[in-house]
Amino acid sequence: MTKKRTGVFVCHCGSNIAATVDVAAVAAAMAGEESVVCARDYVYMCSDPGQNSVIQAIKDNQLDSVVVSCCSPNLHEKTFRENAKAAGLNDFTCEIANIREQCSWVHKDRAKATAKAIRISLSAVKRVSRNLALEPIGIGVTRRVLVVGGGIAGIQASLDLANSGFEVVLVEKNATIGGHMIQLSETFPTLDCSQCILSPKMVEITRHPKITLMTSSEVQEVTGYVGNFRAKILKKATYVDPDKCKICDDCAKVCPVVVPNQYDLGISARRAIYIPFAQAIPASYTLDESSCLGLNPVVCGKCKDVCEAGAIDYDMQSRTVTEEIGAIVVATGFDLYSQDHLGEYGHLENAVDGLQFERMCSASGPTKGKVLRPSDHKEPKDVVFIQCVGSRDPARHCSYCSKICCMYTAKHARLYKHHVPDGRAYVFYIDIRSGGKGYEEFVQRTMEDDETLYLRGRVSKIYEDNGKIRVYGNDTLSGQNVEIEADMVVLALAMQPSAGTAEIAKTLKIGRDKDGFLQEAHPKLRPVESVTAGIFLAGAAQGPKDIPETVSQASAAAAKVVTLLSQPRLIRSPTVARVRSRLCTGCEMCVDACPYDAIHLENGKAVVNDVLCEGCGTCSATCVRAAIEVKNATPLQIQEMIGAVLSL
Amino acid sequence: MINLQELRTRARDLLTKGEVRAVVGYRRGSRGMAAEPVVITRPEEAAQLVWDPSCVHNLALYLVEDRKLLKHRRQTPDKPIAIVAKGCDARAIVVLLQENYFKREEVYILGVSCEETGVFSDQKLMRRFGVNSQALTDARFDGTDYVVTSAEGEQRCAAREVMAERCLECRQPFPKVNDVVLGEEKARTLEAPFAALGRFEQTANTQVARWDFWKRQFDRCIRCFACRSVCPMCYCEECIVDSITFTVAPDTTAEEKANRVRWIQRSATGSENIGYHMTRALHLAGRCIDCGECERVCPVHIPLRLLNTKLERDAREKFGYEPGASIEVASLVSSFRDDDPNDFIR
Repeated sequence: MTKKRTGVFVCHCGSNIAATVDVAAVAAAMAGEESVVCARDYVYMCSDPGQNSVIQAIKDNQLDSVVVSCCSPNLHEKTFRENAKAAGLNDFTCEIANIREQCSWVHKDRAKATAKAIRISLSAVKRVSRNLALEPIGIGVTRRVLVVGGGIAGIQASLDLANSGFEVVLVEKNATIGGHMIQLSETFPTLDCSQCILSPKMVEITRHPKITLMTSSEVQEVTGYVGNFRAKILKKATYVDPDKCKICDDCAKVCPVVVPNQYDLGISARRAIYIPFAQAIPASYTLDESSCLGLNPVVCGKCKDVCEAGAIDYDMQSRTVTEEIGAIVVATGFDLYSQDHLGEYGHLENAVDGLQFERMCSASGPTKGKVLRPSDHKEPKDVVFIQCVGSRDPARHCSYCSKICCMYTAKHARLYKHHVPDGRAYVFYIDIRSGGKGYEEFVQRTMEDDETLYLRGRVSKIYEDNGKIRVYGNDTLSGQNVEIEADMVVLALAMQPSAGTAEIAKTLKIGRDKDGFLQEAHPKLRPVESVTAGIFLAGAAQGPKDIPETVSQASAAAAKVVTLLSQPRLIRSPTVARVRSRLCTGCEMCVDACPYDAIHLENGKAVVNDVLCEGCGTCSATCVRAAIEVKNATPLQIQEMIGAVLSL
Repeated sequence: MINLQELRTRARDLLTKGEVRAVVGYRRGSRGMAAEPVVITRPEEAAQLVWDPSCVHNLALYLVEDRKLLKHRRQTPDKPIAIVAKGCDARAIVVLLQENYFKREEVYILGVSCEETGVFSDQKLMRRFGVNSQALTDARFDGTDYVVTSAEGEQRCAAREVMAERCLECRQPFPKVNDVVLGEEKARTLEAPFAALGRFEQTANTQVARWDFWKRQFDRCIRCFACRSVCPMCYCEECIVDSITFTVAPDTTAEEKANRVRWIQRSATGSENIGYHMTRALHLAGRCIDCGECERVCPVHIPLRLLNTKLERDAREKFGYEPGASIEVASLVSSFRDDDPNDFIR
């Protein structure tokens, strides 16, 4: 091998590195290496003068490879590879030695940290000396988007994308879009009607020529890669043709089956054939297979007999549709934490959850906007609102704050007082978290204008007593024990990822965090991207958030998709796996191990699809025959890097 | 006990009808009753075949040798090769099939059930009778005891006294995957699986004690590579522990030759020996089916089974994985399950 001419550039990162590592000593040590012809340090290598000095040094010293000892390659690998390119080198002849996150930030002893920084830098010098000049892989893009979930997040993302000129396939599991937002009565902090602000957007979804809406549908399988996904979507039979249905309600009138209406969270009942609510999109009745007597005219068939439009078809079949798309937005939303987990709170007849209370307050709800307690349908005069039910309780429930409960409890208290002006509202809280435009003022108005009594403390005991609910607690501000005889209790339950989140995460191969919410690629800098390229996150599926935040994130995700799909060709990293065919015995272990389905067998030998391969190296670690390796991270390079780190 | 005549008839018929190109089996060796592996290709040779407790070898190795030879000769076989396979041999064949080393239709498995016996341990024979199988003229199992015949005459002992340790602990003495099988599938409870490993862990019950133990074992390794040569799973063309196996093809460049990765040196020194044995153990994780051949052939008596069964037990306890149980499932190290005990990945 001809002698390498490597340059090493050691960054101080202000005092981030220089305070713990003797950067000049690192540069001096590197200068002593045989292949290193130029080594220097600088206070901010990523600054404009720093970058220019790298470019100049490459030209002046006829360098053929570059090592920058600085922060994580996640941050500035791209920067310095661009510099190498600007100086006439191939991008992939530049490697980063991470002496900040992996050295200066985690050590205190200056001498030892310096010694470690030298070894890390040396291992990068060894690695770069065997790097191949690689050319990026360009791939085409399908300019269509799949949006999973038809709540406000999915609706907003779909509209933004469709209005940007991209075709959108919006998939919703339920019979209608609208999600949880359409169930709400009024929204904080303005108290405008939720249905009134959401239904125009829902109508726009059906009218938009660029949007294909698939309700009662689920994503079953997604293959492919960024820019070129293929999704299999199961469209479940609804037994009613939405184009023919006139929403006349004749069918529901004759249906003999009565079941709880999940849209009203069980407060009201519906028939087996039903429309979730008047503004449902698509505007059509739907037949619930699980409660119908059997889709069999011999058994019942009443709905079909009365349907003048001929919209009902018992023989309708579920079918699978395949869609080619370039990007995916996941907006699968949240569910309330189940009351089953709550022990003594869980089974009180007059303890309702936040969404049930919303339905009661809603003008189109089961009580036509009257607050009535479930047991006897009387107007409750004393109502206790309990915050943080299931939230902020790492020992028994969820450790996180569900973020929206402080605000919606304040809203509930106000709505209650507006419906029952002579009623008394009490709120038990731990803290009031009202960060947000107009939020703090809203809570203050709840306390002052609407005379809600806020009690700082948790409820200690709660039980049913002679038609009332006795609530014991402690007001930690006054130090007094409190006992309230309530007619009704409203629980501000924690938000948790919706029931299908684990399934969709698995289907899409995107990660989830410790609480089961979808994992963003970076908590600060890439908050709407998933860990898998081309898949984006929106709404409460990624973490608890309110409507304004959800809408912002949905629009942000849409903007990210537009950025991605507006490129003429996508660039993929060429540091992919390569098969050493001679050694491959075709055992298929790498095929099984590859998380990206990027390897298959051809004539008994493994073959890598360069476009699918992410260069993760799982195959290389799995292969006992060392017959597969990742370009620019070959076993020889790894061995020499280990040698450098161990000073062998 | 299986009917030896039936085994010979089956082998002869296969060769007579031309259904297989050869039969790998055991025949009587040159000394005493000790069996040796044989490959027969003519029907009349079938009379040489034997099946008795001295048939210790894992014949699956010869399927690997056969493959290598065919590859070298650039031949594609038109007929399968038949193999006499006891429980452990059949498990080894399952792993080879799982790894696509050959196709199922390319091998004809003439299964023989060990039933309630197993094979001898020569060391145990020496200890019990002062002779090994080469000095025996006959051995049979009468249902409870072994009856062995040597110059001393007929002697008896309980099966477990002379049976190989891995046979005492055998998880599956019946070749489940087979084309034809002789003998019955019988339940046996001589010793629990991993009993020897458990005893070792009780004796050497600290990390320090175990490290001392293994250092002592590996220190005396002479790196003859007998364990690797006898192992049917060690079929890689290029072995990282041993630079003489590096393959050189017409397209191998001088730079490639110079840049070969030498993870482990060939010298038989302490650290290199540990590197060798640890690498081999890890490469056998989820693949070793405990035929115990590595330990049997070791000239310096390194108890390699302890190392291999440790990984096997981990695989069973942590991932419910049994090497050699099924051709269809993905290998241990190449598969991921959603209920993986580690939560670092979701």
